[in-house]
Amino acid sequence: MIKVANLTKRFGRQTVLDNLSFEVKRGEIVGFLGPNGAGKTTTMRILACYLPPTGGSVTIDGLDVLNDSLDVRRRIGYLPENVPMYQDMRVIEYLRYRAHLKGLRGRTLRSRIEEVISRCGLGDVRRRIIGVLSKGYRQRVGLADALVHDPEVLILDEPTIGLDPNQIRHIRNLIKSLAQRHTVLLSTHILPEVEMVCERVLIINKGQIVAADTADNLVGLIKGNLQIVLEVQGPAEAMLNTIKGVKGVAGVQHETTGEWSRFTCTCDSGIDVRTELFQVVAENRWTLRELKVEKRNLEDVFVSMTMKETDW
Amino acid sequence: MRSFFTIWRRELASCFLSPVAYVTLVIFLSVSGWLFVQAAVGGSGSVESLEVLLFMAIFFWVPILTTVISMRLFSEEKRLGTLETLMTAPVSDTEVILGKYAGALTFLFIVIYPAVSYIYILRALSPGLTTIDTGGIVGGCLMLALVSAASMALGLLVSLLTKNQIVAAICIFCAVWAPFFMKSMVSVLPFGSETILDYISIETHIIDFARGSVDTRPVALYLSWTVFVLFAAVRLLEVRRWK
Repeated sequence: MIKVANLTKRFGRQTVLDNLSFEVKRGEIVGFLGPNGAGKTTTMRILACYLPPTGGSVTIDGLDVLNDSLDVRRRIGYLPENVPMYQDMRVIEYLRYRAHLKGLRGRTLRSRIEEVISRCGLGDVRRRIIGVLSKGYRQRVGLADALVHDPEVLILDEPTIGLDPNQIRHIRNLIKSLAQRHTVLLSTHILPEVEMVCERVLIINKGQIVAADTADNLVGLIKGNLQIVLEVQGPAEAMLNTIKGVKGVAGVQHETTGEWSRFTCTCDSGIDVRTELFQVVAENRWTLRELKVEKRNLEDVFVSMTMKETDW
Repeated sequence: MRSFFTIWRRELASCFLSPVAYVTLVIFLSVSGWLFVQAAVGGSGSVESLEVLLFMAIFFWVPILTTVISMRLFSEEKRLGTLETLMTAPVSDTEVILGKYAGALTFLFIVIYPAVSYIYILRALSPGLTTIDTGGIVGGCLMLALVSAASMALGLLVSLLTKNQIVAAICIFCAVWAPFFMKSMVSVLPFGSETILDYISIETHIIDFARGSVDTRPVALYLSWTVFVLFAAVRLLEVRRWK
């Protein structure tokens, strides 16, 4: 559905996107991640036909964003980053105006507006002036605007920013429910959300795609060295030396609070030392109250893919 | 062309959604009326016809009105970021330019044309005044439309260049005001030809048209100027996307 090939974007001498290529299939929800300034918004603006690419090709549903710009825009629902809107209009007026612009008329227009109002939970504020709405409501008006013409592709730039946890859950479910009929590309900084909503993840850094896969596979990629945490009661020095001596343990970090010591062991690659650790604890008759594998999540993937020591 | 009407309506409505519209209307109608009455009283016995005095009184405020109305056209869209939502909707650059232009121009007409009625009010109030030259009124109204169209086009072009409304306002005012009073300014200089100036001076055109002599040359001048500036504005909107 969305096909980006060797996309390059330069602003003057600064290269923002460098040979970016990815593809999003019909009906997929894809999360678009990257640190600030990585080029997410620029990519999305190019997809939405707001900025033209410097090089490479971008097609949506087989249509080129440059040559068939108007046709592409008809197929896209775009929610920009800061949700710009006319402050002096009422919600219903704004949605009517936007629906008109997108070519809806008459009965279709009215029924579509009613549908997005109920879907985005705007019933209570339909007669309010946009300028006085809270950030959360504004975000929802923006989303309603993006959905109003029932587009095949949705491009959402940080759709859940500024919302409270209940609203985030609501929007998340809304996006999930869209997946059956729409293709969604969304960017966000809330990583657990991506794991929950998106089937696939693209991570972009310094204008290049550094990873593109399902969230689980990506987590698997960096799993390589297992981290095991155990909390034990006993003589700290002795325990540290014993644990260090266990075969397969590459490194140990520990902290002691009162009688309890907490050890974080990094294993040699491909080895799980939980059994051995339990055995040494049992042999020495120390008291064990926790033994677990530190679960890696998308955040670790994100950090390991996008952060260099020199960044901070 | 359907989006054109949508944008037009939104632009016109947005003028009335802000208090600026009402303030502008009231102030303009008061000061132009006052200026007209002052000119009519002060000029009693002069050869200048009432129609000319009326349209001079109205035209004097056109640069200010154009500035107030056009300065926010694109500057505000840029500042709010709504240009992004507008340009990612399926509307062509031409529709955006023409829609906004038509909306702003319609509002300017709504503000200035009621002032033409002053001359009829004056007739109703003063029994000595019996004849009003309809030709002069028609000519003046036509000129008013042409000059407004040309100035508004220029204002729109300037507002495309900046996101700061104050900068836009100052530039528009200078650009629109200069041709209005160019003749009076240049005529004090030791060089420059009066005849050439007469061809392009708005002041001369107004006086001619308000006397009822409708000349096709100024009509062609203002129309072609408007078309050219709007064309440039469409290109400029396009260029902005190519940066």
